[in-house]
Amino acid sequence: MLSPSEIQVVQLSLSIAIWVVVLSLGPGWAVAWWLARTRTRWRALVHGIVLLPLVLPPVVTGYALLALFGRSTPIGKAWHYLTGEYLSYSFSAAVLAAAVVSFPLLVESLRIAFESIDPRLEKIARSLGMGRARTWWRVSLPLALPGVFAGTTLAFARALGEFGATIVLAGNIEGETRQIPVAVYSLLQEPGSTAAVWRLSAISVGLSLGALALTAWLRARGARKAGQA
Amino acid sequence: MIELRIEHRWQGFHLDVDVQSASQVLGLFGPSGAGKSSLLHALSGWWTPDLGSVRVEGETWLDTQAGIALPIEARGCAVVSQDALLFPHRSVLGNLTFAPGAHKLWNTPEGQRILDLLRLGPLLERKPTTLSGGEQQRVALGRALLAQPRMILLDEPAASLDAPMAREVMALLLEIKREWKLPMVFVTHRTSELLALADEAAWIEAGRIVHQGAPLEVLAQGGREGGLPHHDVENLLSLTVAQHDADQGLTWMSLGGEPELRLAVPPIDGPIGAPATIALQGEDILLAEANPGPTSARNVLPANLVRRTQVGEEVWVDLAVGAVELRARVTPGAASSLGLVPGKALYLLIKTTACRTLFGNALTGERSGSGAESPR
Repeated sequence: MLSPSEIQVVQLSLSIAIWVVVLSLGPGWAVAWWLARTRTRWRALVHGIVLLPLVLPPVVTGYALLALFGRSTPIGKAWHYLTGEYLSYSFSAAVLAAAVVSFPLLVESLRIAFESIDPRLEKIARSLGMGRARTWWRVSLPLALPGVFAGTTLAFARALGEFGATIVLAGNIEGETRQIPVAVYSLLQEPGSTAAVWRLSAISVGLSLGALALTAWLRARGARKAGQA
Repeated sequence: MIELRIEHRWQGFHLDVDVQSASQVLGLFGPSGAGKSSLLHALSGWWTPDLGSVRVEGETWLDTQAGIALPIEARGCAVVSQDALLFPHRSVLGNLTFAPGAHKLWNTPEGQRILDLLRLGPLLERKPTTLSGGEQQRVALGRALLAQPRMILLDEPAASLDAPMAREVMALLLEIKREWKLPMVFVTHRTSELLALADEAAWIEAGRIVHQGAPLEVLAQGGREGGLPHHDVENLLSLTVAQHDADQGLTWMSLGGEPELRLAVPPIDGPIGAPATIALQGEDILLAEANPGPTSARNVLPANLVRRTQVGEEVWVDLAVGAVELRARVTPGAASSLGLVPGKALYLLIKTTACRTLFGNALTGERSGSGAESPR
């Protein structure tokens, strides 16, 4: 069975991943919708910036975040002024690091879901007398929903596995930033903790597989519904 | 009354059109890429031109100079396009009752009438992806009617269907035109569809209206200039069953008139008096100056020539038979040797197998009584 500190690590991982999903869904939705529908020449640039954390080494992303949000930076100072706490090396920093790294996966899934909606279906709905808002609610949203679920689980799984940016921006603080990957890394440095490493790794594999299976199932369901399967 | 004044430039293409029409059904005819669909969607609001105005019944829907653009949902134009564009996440019933107010209408006799006409009963629980092209188009028509639109806009509604299904959709549109009296604007590149459905035609070529007027005249004008892409005359006749003849394996349809004339067609299931639409190609009608006596054709019918029109390299003749008018195609040589002039009495020879039956009307008899009572 898991020790109390291991349970704490798993709980912390899950709560970071849940916060990541809750906080990124709104902005991710907005960016994905804009990318799916805009025709400006700025699209490629914005798309590139959004995708950047996907290809950058996470450690570099973490360092870039530290340079932006560290204690002596303007944003870091503003955060301290507003909350009385420092952003770096905190639970919030662990959420921020995981959110930035998983954001491209969320946006890409949503963008593809939005782009696969035939815009003529929205026009048909409006020609039948539906306003923009009701068309969105009754046509665009239901058609995008499987992709939204898939993107959300993917981002959730990525947040669970985040290590590089987290260790740089949030460090390794027990009960605050030590989630599963960071805990596994720490345990590997200690002799005689092989069993604990195995337990946490097994949980990590289980959670990730579960999330991927859910994603695959939602995608297949979405494809069936859209009649592409 | 529809007034469209549209100017728009794409790379290498200039659409510049000024159309007015007070007809119930306006057909936009011309080759693909001529700008027909753009014109249609300037009406629907799906597309906004660089410059122009759209007025319907005196209401301004679009005026680019005054900055007026009525949103799509305020125009009341139901659109039926080549791809039926059914909502894939909803059942057939969910599609039909999608429009605001459609659910209420669905439970009235009017809703029932739409259900009967389009034979939607057996499809209601199905998903759109499991339907054939013709079935999808029937659902799209039902969805449009249940939205209680001011106008129906049809963008090549039968173009992606095979010939029998396309014919059935045209027969349904004819029925909708007659029964619902709804204004329609439709885009087509088929002469048969234009002749069957339109009250007025506008021929569009390379972004310009080249002819506008009665469909037959527009085609005749276009034909004189050698621009008629594909000759195709098809008669769609709404008739009623007069008598079944099991021995000869055919059904007699009433053509009306005095004395009562009948047309032999392949056997139809349906009680006496049941309506059905019969499709008949213009080249399948033979003309004779005198009654030829016994022939292999089951139908030898007396007729009077009403109109003769030169269309391209052929002559189209409109013939009154009983209470029905038929259009036949003949060569100019045949027309001159027969001395085809309006008023001339002729005999028509029509083979039974040339008559194809379409159950387009409110008639399938899915519920008792609906088969026998003609909506007309």
